[in-house]
Amino acid sequence: MTNQRVAVSVRKWVGLHHLVMVCLMGLAGCTTTTVDQFRQGETGIESHESIVILGRRQGSTYETREEFVSCVGERVSRGSRGIRVIPEQEFIDSLFPWFEPRTAPLRTADLQTLMEEDIVADKIADYGIRYIVWVDGQTETTNRMGSISCAVGPGGGGCFGFGSWEDDSNFDARVWDVSSFSSVGTISTDSTGQSYVPAIVIPIPLLARVEANACDSLATQLQEFVIGDPQVAQ
Amino acid sequence: MAYMRKARNSICTGLAILLSACGVNSVVVEGSYPTPNIRPFPMTLGVYFDDELKNYTYIEYTEDGKEEYAVSAGQTHITLFESVLPAMFEQVVVLNDMTAASTARVDAVFSPHIEEFQLALPQKTRLDAYEVWVKYNMQLLRPNGDYIADWIVTSYGKTPSESLRSVESGINDATVGALRDLASNFSLSFGAVPEVREWLEAQ
Repeated sequence: MTNQRVAVSVRKWVGLHHLVMVCLMGLAGCTTTTVDQFRQGETGIESHESIVILGRRQGSTYETREEFVSCVGERVSRGSRGIRVIPEQEFIDSLFPWFEPRTAPLRTADLQTLMEEDIVADKIADYGIRYIVWVDGQTETTNRMGSISCAVGPGGGGCFGFGSWEDDSNFDARVWDVSSFSSVGTISTDSTGQSYVPAIVIPIPLLARVEANACDSLATQLQEFVIGDPQVAQ
Repeated sequence: MAYMRKARNSICTGLAILLSACGVNSVVVEGSYPTPNIRPFPMTLGVYFDDELKNYTYIEYTEDGKEEYAVSAGQTHITLFESVLPAMFEQVVVLNDMTAASTARVDAVFSPHIEEFQLALPQKTRLDAYEVWVKYNMQLLRPNGDYIADWIVTSYGKTPSESLRSVESGINDATVGALRDLASNFSLSFGAVPEVREWLEAQ
């Protein structure tokens, strides 16, 4: 085999490798997100008012991750239509011990009872909170497949194999109006996606941004819902 | 020759001690606790922390009975009560000795005790969380040492296990969660304990 033929063969292999990578990247980008909205009442928010987004942590099998709640809050407060969002931990600490997993109100009637405590009502008024949003959900990983083997020798090392898994994020956001002690609606998001890690010498993780997409979708819808955009109202 | 054998034995013993010492991982629980937003009880409370509480250490054993984790949770309990009690009572006096209560002009003396501590590690439970469960015996006494109330409080805390989180950090966060739960439960239910309520009404 001449040097020229070897070079052509290597170029073909590299080309094929790149083609496979591009295809996999395209596949990894495939995340499906569905958002549902159920409106029970009129909404709207003044510039001096704010919202607080809290994670539900009463479940025995899972608890809503702080990072997800913080992601939704950060995105809701972003942009020209951004809403003032009180950080979750600041609010919980400031109203301690009324919003701990054991003591947090589970129904709007509980919130009404809680607001009879002057200390709680004053703190919520000081923050200018109009809506309390309860986020409940988790991301589950299923269908893990494949395996990757790595080896190191005197001449170097490398990995070979293929792994994949599916992530499924399911989150609900229930919106309570503090001024009327009523539930004004629920937004649900379901996001699924497949992640791949092909390893040909180097493992290349092609990760589906499932939870990030769920966060983006939920936050966008929540922002519009709270502002009360008539085009979105059902 | 005998000297060499003795030296070799000493080195082996030393190494064995070092290895066994490396086997126990120490966790000193550290956390900060918020002050409760509640109406304070109109009373002066004496509080006595005994040495058992101050130096409380829970030992978690491996399945074959070896010491695996030593969780020192005494000092963090003192930090918690020092944050919670001044918000619950108009005045709080820390007593170094129970006998000091009679001269300290306090209405009652509160003394907490840890009865049981349980730790659940993800590597043992196969769950994605570190969990801590604590059972307390709370005592409220008259300055002369007579009982007003003696009741049980339980608390629970958990924190998810994450890929970059160390076991020590997981144990710490779950314990701090359990202490927050204790603070919220204790501060809201203190006045509802039947014997305490009766005593408060009689004041």
